[in-house]
Amino acid sequence: MQPCSATAIQEWERAISCKRMFIIAGNKRIVLLIGWDNSSLVIDKLCNEAEEKEDTAVLCFYFDFAARNEQSPVNMLGSLLRQCVSGLERIPELVVQSFRKRRKGIGGRGLQVAGILKMFQSITTTKSTFICVDALDECAPEHRMVVLESLRQIIHGSPNARVFMTGRPQVRSEVEKRLDGAAAFISIQPTEDGVIRYLRDKLSKDTAPEIMSSTLEAEIMKIIPEINSET
Amino acid sequence: MSQVLSNNDNCFNITNNNYSAPDNESKILAWLSPLEPWVRHQDIEAERVDGIGAWLLETKEFTRWHNTTKGDGPNHATLFCDGNPGVGKSYIM
Repeated sequence: MQPCSATAIQEWERAISCKRMFIIAGNKRIVLLIGWDNSSLVIDKLCNEAEEKEDTAVLCFYFDFAARNEQSPVNMLGSLLRQCVSGLERIPELVVQSFRKRRKGIGGRGLQVAGILKMFQSITTTKSTFICVDALDECAPEHRMVVLESLRQIIHGSPNARVFMTGRPQVRSEVEKRLDGAAAFISIQPTEDGVIRYLRDKLSKDTAPEIMSSTLEAEIMKIIPEINSET
Repeated sequence: MSQVLSNNDNCFNITNNNYSAPDNESKILAWLSPLEPWVRHQDIEAERVDGIGAWLLETKEFTRWHNTTKGDGPNHATLFCDGNPGVGKSYIM
């Protein structure tokens, strides 16, 4: 195992605080969001599998309507690149050189989408990369267009890149169009079993159980799953 | 902790022009993006109920997406899960 730099230790500390974890696979240090265990279905599965494989990266991004100004395409794609770079032994020379060149500009010029994609594809060419993006509909429309085009370029340029996205039905046609009709789709519907599990969990965490009668509890467990099955 | 590490850097006389120096690695990472998506994930983690949505992993769409190999090209590289507000999309991801 190679010695960690101070920055790596800082990243480690922050990762631990964020319940992420780094592992050593072969001679390469790979960032995995392993600590997100039991926190999300797909990311959890991918991270568990990545533990067994070398050179696999699991990256994620959550769009949030309230943060749509700061969640620009540059910041979003930069975040994916940052997660990718954080898991490497050292920051790739291409990224360092780009940083140096940009810093020389007036006030330090920022990144651009084309530059991020170039770096991203250079780093992920031989890597299995899973990109998970939540709530695509909460991304501003003008940003979403750029993000989808960028993801299209990534999956065309990096043969081992996979993209998993969630969003409301109204952006489905946009995804289909922007990704050349190559995306597969699944409609998410709450199952009866899922609703029952959810209700049981919430009732077990009731902070005022003394005011919950067994009659009311039985009624909740009966009526809400019925309403779900009717919709 | 970061303060302690910074002091260590000074002990080793690492200069600002050395881009492998820890401080500059931090600067480069911050330059790549200021966003920290794992914070949002922690919020979701607190709310998620274990086991819900496992059916998704058994669908043929997910299996095909997950098992796509290099030779398949971009054709099966993207999977989009859509659903109305409140159905649990974020928890499934």
